[in-house]
Order: sequence, then C-alpha cells, then structure tokens
Amino acid sequence: MALPASIRSSVTPPELELIASEQLVDIIPLIAMDKTAFISGAYGPLRPPAKSRVPLWMATNLKLKKKCHIVPPDWLCVEFLQDRLMRETSQAEFCELPFRFAEVAKVLLDVASDDMQNPDKIRSLLKDLREARQAKSREGLQKLDHSELSLPNFCSLEINEIRPFFVRAMGVLTQVSRTTQE
Amino acid sequence: MNERHSPDILGCQEDVLGRLLDHIRRQSETVQLLRGDPDSSEEEHFRIMLAQTEIERVKFVVRSYVRTRLFKIEKYARYIVATPEIQDRLSQAELTHAQKFAHLVESHFNKSVLQGLPPEQRSLHDQTAFMPKMITEPDKTRAVFAHAREHCPPVRLPDGTALEMEKGRISLVPYHVIEHLLARGSVELV
Repeated sequence: MALPASIRSSVTPPELELIASEQLVDIIPLIAMDKTAFISGAYGPLRPPAKSRVPLWMATNLKLKKKCHIVPPDWLCVEFLQDRLMRETSQAEFCELPFRFAEVAKVLLDVASDDMQNPDKIRSLLKDLREARQAKSREGLQKLDHSELSLPNFCSLEINEIRPFFVRAMGVLTQVSRTTQE
Repeated sequence: MNERHSPDILGCQEDVLGRLLDHIRRQSETVQLLRGDPDSSEEEHFRIMLAQTEIERVKFVVRSYVRTRLFKIEKYARYIVATPEIQDRLSQAELTHAQKFAHLVESHFNKSVLQGLPPEQRSLHDQTAFMPKMITEPDKTRAVFAHAREHCPPVRLPDGTALEMEKGRISLVPYHVIEHLLARGSVELV
C-alpha cells in the first residue's frame, strides 16, 4: 500500500520533528562559510564569531560536527519555563508557548545540551509542563461535543497526541446526534 | 501537511510540486558538479554536504505528499471515477491512475466473486440502498484540527451556531464546516 497503516490516522513525532527543523535558530559558527543558496532560501555568510540565523536542521548538522554553538531561544531557559509552569498549574487555561516548542526543545536538548545552562533542570521542567498540560487536555474531553472544540495555545505535539482519540470521539458523537435527530 | 490530515482529496499543488522538483534537480546538479571538481577546498565539501542534507529533507516531504495522495486515490478510486467535480482536483497522471485502478478492482471483483452470484446481485452500483455503501466515499464529517491563518468569516456549525475564527485560533471541527476555508487557504490543518 502507498501509506503504511501505522501512519494513516496521524503523523508521527519524528515527522513533526522534521517539520519543526525548518525553524530558524541563532548559532555562533566556528567555521567561515560564504552565503550559500539553498532550496528554502539563502543562508550565511557565516563569519565567526558573529551570530547568524540558520534553520534548525543546519544548526544540528553543524553542531554534530562541532562546528558551531547553538544559542538556545529565549523561551528555552530555566526562568521562563519555571514561570510558565507556575502559571500552568495555577490557572485553568493553557498558557502561551511557541507552537512547536516540544519538538524544538527535544532536538536542542539532544544535540546541544552543552550549550545550555542547566539542561537537566530544563528537561525536568519541560516534563512537568507536559504533564500539567496533559492533565488539562484530558479534562477538556468533557467539553467535547459534536460540533466544535476550541483549543487555544495548544502545541503541535499535543494535538498529535490527542488526535486519534478526539477524532474518534467526535465521530461517535456526530453519529449519536444524527440518530437522535432522525 | 494539509493533505495528510484531511479526509478528502485536496486540490493538486502541481505547480508547487513542479517548482520543488526543479529546485531539487538543479541543486543536485550543482552538487554533482562540485563533487567532480578535484581541487575544491574543505569548506566547499562542507557546503556540498549541507546542500545534500537539505535535498534529502525536501525529497522526503515530496515523497510523503505524493504517497498520501496515492493512498487516497486508490482508496476512493471508484468514487473519483463516478464524481466529475472531484476530478478537477487531480492532475492528469493521477486521474489516469484512478481510472485504471478502478477498472482493475472492478474486473477483479467480477472475476473472483460476482460471477458466481445470481444476476440481480451482480452489480457493484448503488441502485438499491446497500449498507454499507458499495462506493467508498471520503468521510467529510470527520473532525480535523484547524488553525486559522487569518481572520475568518463566521461558519455554521452542525448544531446551528455560528463560529467566527480569529487569527491564530485552533479548533477541532468537522471537516465539512471548514472545507471552503481550507480551499481558500485561510485555515490550515495541524
């Protein structure tokens, strides 16, 4: 078959990671490179030690060859995440986070944890944040009906996580409401 | 990505696809050319490698897009052949494939099972109401996650209320509600 059964209903996290890797991050290059044209646009020139902005996939690639340092984005630091976690646990709604924060954070923590201060702390904060939000999304299931559910500040990985279940549930509700109408 | 999340077949992005393939071809040619150059510096090698990485990434996305469409076309082949308005959304190659595939499936059913049935039950068409239907149709009531890229005019929900989506809002709604918004590009599926 053209599409394996396992990926028919939803995309997989590695695929989301691939999409998220198109986002731009700041790096401090350790090698020089002229401006180079790529399919998604032209990046460079790289002139150490000046900062430059490249897509995440390129940054990972350079990092793995020890040719740059990645500057983590503003939101990926202990203070910011701690603040968000506080808000997340004290308020009922989801707090604002970058749409693909989970994927970007994972990639950065995997390859560039030595460029961050306190990566372990960040890891555990991200995990707490995820758990808090997961609990909320489960509660949100009560509000599900057959017409609409709005999900402000949801991020892509979370949507992916709840997709199969919520879509099925909504399908069942649609059927139920159709039968009661008839 | 829209293609992957939508239950129905969307319009074919033929020119985008063509442009991408062009880019890939040109970039690969440059890479090949530079590769053959024996006195390229180390820095050159480095750029070649980066360019190649990107080519692979783009190729993966393109492949994933084409495979998804192929899967849908094969699943709904008989529906596509029966409904003219959906045929506009397919490229010429896709349409030919759908027709051939539908024909193959039909003749296979005929040879393997239908021959042995009484004549009045032989047809594969829906004159009498069969449950489930003979032709697989896309399920447009399936829920999708829609992300508003701009402010959208209100749409009618199945329970009668109107929904106005401001920019950036993410909602779980049945597909048929936002179908026209998706075609216009005001929302994207996530």
